[in-house]
Amino acid sequence: MQRDRPSPRTHIRAFRLNGRAREILVADSELLLDTLREALGLTGTKQGCDGGECGACTVLIDGRPRLACLTRTEECAGHDVETIEGLAENGRMSRLQRAFHERLGTQCGYCTPGMIIAAEGLLRRDPAPDETAIRAALAGNLCRCTGYVKIIEAVQEAARGAP
Amino acid sequence: MTVMRNTRDVVGQPTPLIDGVEKVMGAAKYTADLPVADALVGRILRSPVSHARIVGIDTAAARALPGVRAVITGADCAATYGVLPIAMNEYPLARDVVRYRGEPLAAVAAVDAETAAAALKLIRCEFDILPAYYTADAARAPDAVALHANKPGNIERAVHHRFGDVEAGFAQADLVREHVYACAEVAHAQMERNAALVEYDPARDHLTIWSTTQVPYYVHLMLARCLEMDASRIRVVKPFVGGGFGARVETLNFEIIAALLARAAGGKVSLRLSREETFLTHRGRPETEIRLKLGMTRAGRLTACAAEVVQRGGAYAGYGIITILYAGALLQGLYDIPAIAYDGVRVYANLPPCGAMRGHGSVDMRFAFEALLDRMAREIGLDPFAVRRANLLSAPTETQNGLRIESYGLGECLDWVEQASLWRERRGRLGTGRGLGMACSHYVSGAAKPIHWTGEPHAVVHLRLDFDGGVTLLTGAADIGQGSSTVMAQAAAEVLGIRLDRVRVVTADSMLTPKDNGSYSSRVTFMVGNATIDAARALLAHLVAAAAARLGVSETAIQHENETFFVAGGDGPGLSFADVAQAALAREGGAITAKGSFTCPVEFQGGKHKGGAVGATMGFSYAAQVVEVAVDHETGMVAVEKVWVAQDCGFAINPLAVEGQIQGAVWMGMGQAIGEETRYEQGLAVHASFLDYRVPTIIESPPIALHIVESIDPNGPFGAKEASEGALAGFLPALTNAIADALGLEIDTLPVTPDRILEALAHRQRARRLAKALEEAV
Amino acid sequence: MEIMPRFDVLRPTSVAAAIDDSRRCQASRFVAGGTDLMVNLRHGLGTPETLIDLRHIPELREISAGESGIAIGAAVTLADLAANPEIRQRYPAIVAAACAVGAPAHREAGTIGGNLCLDTRCLFYNRSAWWREANDFCLKHQGETCHVAPTGKRCHAAFSGDLAPALLIHDAEIEIAGAAGPRRVPLADLYAEDGAAHLRLARGEFLVRIHLPADPWPAAYAKARTRGAIDFPLAGVAVALRAEAGKVTGLRVALTGTNARPFLLTGIEALENACIDAAWLDRLAKLVQKQVSPMRTTLLAAQYRRRVASALAQRLARALGGMVTENSTAA
Repeated sequence: MQRDRPSPRTHIRAFRLNGRAREILVADSELLLDTLREALGLTGTKQGCDGGECGACTVLIDGRPRLACLTRTEECAGHDVETIEGLAENGRMSRLQRAFHERLGTQCGYCTPGMIIAAEGLLRRDPAPDETAIRAALAGNLCRCTGYVKIIEAVQEAARGAP
Repeated sequence: MTVMRNTRDVVGQPTPLIDGVEKVMGAAKYTADLPVADALVGRILRSPVSHARIVGIDTAAARALPGVRAVITGADCAATYGVLPIAMNEYPLARDVVRYRGEPLAAVAAVDAETAAAALKLIRCEFDILPAYYTADAARAPDAVALHANKPGNIERAVHHRFGDVEAGFAQADLVREHVYACAEVAHAQMERNAALVEYDPARDHLTIWSTTQVPYYVHLMLARCLEMDASRIRVVKPFVGGGFGARVETLNFEIIAALLARAAGGKVSLRLSREETFLTHRGRPETEIRLKLGMTRAGRLTACAAEVVQRGGAYAGYGIITILYAGALLQGLYDIPAIAYDGVRVYANLPPCGAMRGHGSVDMRFAFEALLDRMAREIGLDPFAVRRANLLSAPTETQNGLRIESYGLGECLDWVEQASLWRERRGRLGTGRGLGMACSHYVSGAAKPIHWTGEPHAVVHLRLDFDGGVTLLTGAADIGQGSSTVMAQAAAEVLGIRLDRVRVVTADSMLTPKDNGSYSSRVTFMVGNATIDAARALLAHLVAAAAARLGVSETAIQHENETFFVAGGDGPGLSFADVAQAALAREGGAITAKGSFTCPVEFQGGKHKGGAVGATMGFSYAAQVVEVAVDHETGMVAVEKVWVAQDCGFAINPLAVEGQIQGAVWMGMGQAIGEETRYEQGLAVHASFLDYRVPTIIESPPIALHIVESIDPNGPFGAKEASEGALAGFLPALTNAIADALGLEIDTLPVTPDRILEALAHRQRARRLAKALEEAV
Repeated sequence: MEIMPRFDVLRPTSVAAAIDDSRRCQASRFVAGGTDLMVNLRHGLGTPETLIDLRHIPELREISAGESGIAIGAAVTLADLAANPEIRQRYPAIVAAACAVGAPAHREAGTIGGNLCLDTRCLFYNRSAWWREANDFCLKHQGETCHVAPTGKRCHAAFSGDLAPALLIHDAEIEIAGAAGPRRVPLADLYAEDGAAHLRLARGEFLVRIHLPADPWPAAYAKARTRGAIDFPLAGVAVALRAEAGKVTGLRVALTGTNARPFLLTGIEALENACIDAAWLDRLAKLVQKQVSPMRTTLLAAQYRRRVASALAQRLARALGGMVTENSTAA
């Protein structure tokens, strides 16, 4: 940076990311979305809008859905962050990922990580959600391909297959 | 040589997408996900004014800013670009004149985004403001300044087509009605924002672009043209693409700008557009006004149709000529209409350029047509299904404008949605504020005449077989989420009698894959599917020959299935696919590449009249749908309760994907019908976010029950036709017809937002009061 | 168009420390969930050097119920608020309003205090820096003219928080902390009818708690929006209605989304001690239509927002009246 701007404060922030302890140096103003995608190379979390309008960047913080484009990385200090990359077990698709794949809950795939993460947050709270609960949980996740029909079917399928 | 088998082991089976695992795992790399550690950041300076002569652009201060590696303006590219060879009138960066707010004026590449943004602020532009026009009427006014010197009156194209005796047709009618319909401009709103990554190698003068495109080949052509580079020095790669819907079926300014920046900077440039910029790049469906007149007999038989259409196309040509021609051409091909007059005009205006959007050209006209058809059926006292059935075509046939129809499953579509929705039982018995409406629609399976007439086939596919026994399918076709790669793999596996997972598909990398015109006009399944079958048959011939030689029989005696080649009627165990592959490689001298191609015969390429190629296709898909609505008369909210849709897609190679495409198309039609619209304030886009451009959420999205009709088109791959666009247009009129059923309100303007519903109700209330007052006065 | 400006974040753990941080950092702003502020900052709407995150102050995150009522910490998230058993049992309108905000992920981050202090919104304001500059900015930020009413002298941006009306109808009070000491005022006093200065908070003041009375009247909230989620209210209406023997004995109506501030409908006493019939509903509608003043701050027509506000008020009053009538019949 070669401009005369007050040097921003950076801190080492410690948090858990997909089950692993991480310590990273971030500016206070850095968004979690940028940390994940640019600094850590976890590009599964997508950016679809200019802030808070599409849900493509949904992640779980302490098991609850949050938008990485509205969350500063510093807020995550001491918390548990999960992204789409953290759902697979030993490289195998999770029940939701498998259901989205097999039931075609994904077409272009761009909303898919956020959609699956939002659904994951739902199934952890409510393992057997009815259709209304599924719709409510995914209300902030826009999809332009599916009309949501097969997304709902995929979540239902995953819930049926729940352990 | 073996023949096509009757059993369908792979095609016809619901098949998850072969690239679906990457998507659900978050591993799929879209353009913005590609590594950019050493890349410069590109940013675009956009015009703050709608229409002006550019007096000067001073970039000296921006160039002097430390960290800035390149600054370019219109002076850096004198070549125009555009998707139609006859209408290339756009510069990647405006030269001399700027024609819409948001048009690129300059661009920078810098070491980081903040430096790039700071550099943009240092660029000084001086304008000589010209009058700006935001409506088709204003642009066509007698004293309006022409946006383009060669287009007086701002008319991009006027079309006047006459088929049959229109006057006589109206004279024969028992009922003639004329109404005006208006559709707002809409946008694709694909979830992935536009982005391009370009790497320029100054030592070799080579350029590689990764871009969010549906048409890598057109991008290739326009980069070669605008950068004045030999096409062999350019490589175009399409990574995963987050939806298109037509937004990306032509080369877009940001792709050329990124390439110009990379060359100017001598390195790698990442250019990622914001959502607002993605909306500004636009290419959506134009604002359209339609004056439609139909003639009908008492029995519901259509006698004549006259349509006048005005499309506000935005500042540049794009696909505009095609769009205005489609709107007229696709009046035909769905019903039997004895006489048609079409007068269409495409108008330039100082707004972001429109382009092709799902259902290109057909959607707004279909809305008007099906709405008026219902209205007249009501007046005559005919059931909406009956009036459609009175006008069905029968295949094979040829329409008056030269469209060939070889398969036609609309009747079955009508039957299914009528029964599934319990139309006869439920219509009129749903209670206040609730209603059922229906409509039909159709769409092409690929434009039969390509945009660039080079004499090459419409599609080419390579299949490669090597020592590992894997079959590699190389195609330029761009899978943008519709599942085309899966369809190609299925087609190849079916013909070869092998497991689907033995086929791996390499797509859309100009260095590796044969040219393909791209993913638009629903051409890929039909054309690339046929080319794949052709290639698979060619590869099979090698395998059969090798098997025959190994087994010591003639080639005609060889049969194959389940990865086994055996002698017909023989009792031997036969040969495994791996053995036959090895034998074939030995015979042929190593790795085998088989080529397949497909070309639409000239007799399918449309009528002889001017513009007659537009609308011509080898197979039309057909769809019928029923929509159930509940309208809240206090808030004006329209709730779509359920949709039943049936579509004739010829044959469903992948029924799972066909279902997904039909549901998606119906739903996208719903978005246009109930809430989506672009809006401009003095040419400034006020819709350019996902708050203001109201893509429906899961909450208001209805269940969609569907049925696939398989008419087995004689020319389609395994009988298949398109599945992705045909059902879209029908939703719009089915919705307004349902509202008419629910409230008795005729809605002529889309979208049907709650304010428009309340206004229409208030208007009716006033009209009734007035009528009553008049009555009392008398 | 979307670069986050650099800023530092302070994380005070007490009200006193937050006041102190604010005094030390003049170019600072308070933040909680940030669902609105982060977007605005990326649009260049403000360039604070420091954000003071109030969520690390334990007392701001508590909900405490007592005999005198319920106190809600300003940094309680909307999700936690809507899930709280006491709130669910006693204040259905507040639950409905909290659940009407954005979508689930917004509600996990967004707080009740943030929603009450939400910036006003306008077609000409919630735009990128490029857009606003191309439009010569606006009266609310960096400009001279209100594009909604160019001849006027004030900003017409609309308040768009959902929670305020649901609290106003219960006569909520707010506790404010600041350098000049704490104060407790009716929530209605927080707001002014000026889109560019709609919050009556001195520099360095912030919300600590919201107090609700123990025995609320039956109440409900309804929101008009084009989509079933994500959208801000085109109009939001909360109604509290007490009825005895088929007569309305108490009525409160509050609105959001239609003016620069959320507000309680005045003159409502005229509708008390009366039965809910068509004429009564008509009078209610007229009161609403007279007092709301939606301007062209949204894409949907202002006239629609006026109409739908009165329709929703009628609907809620009918439902609450009906409900109470049934209950009293049963009793």
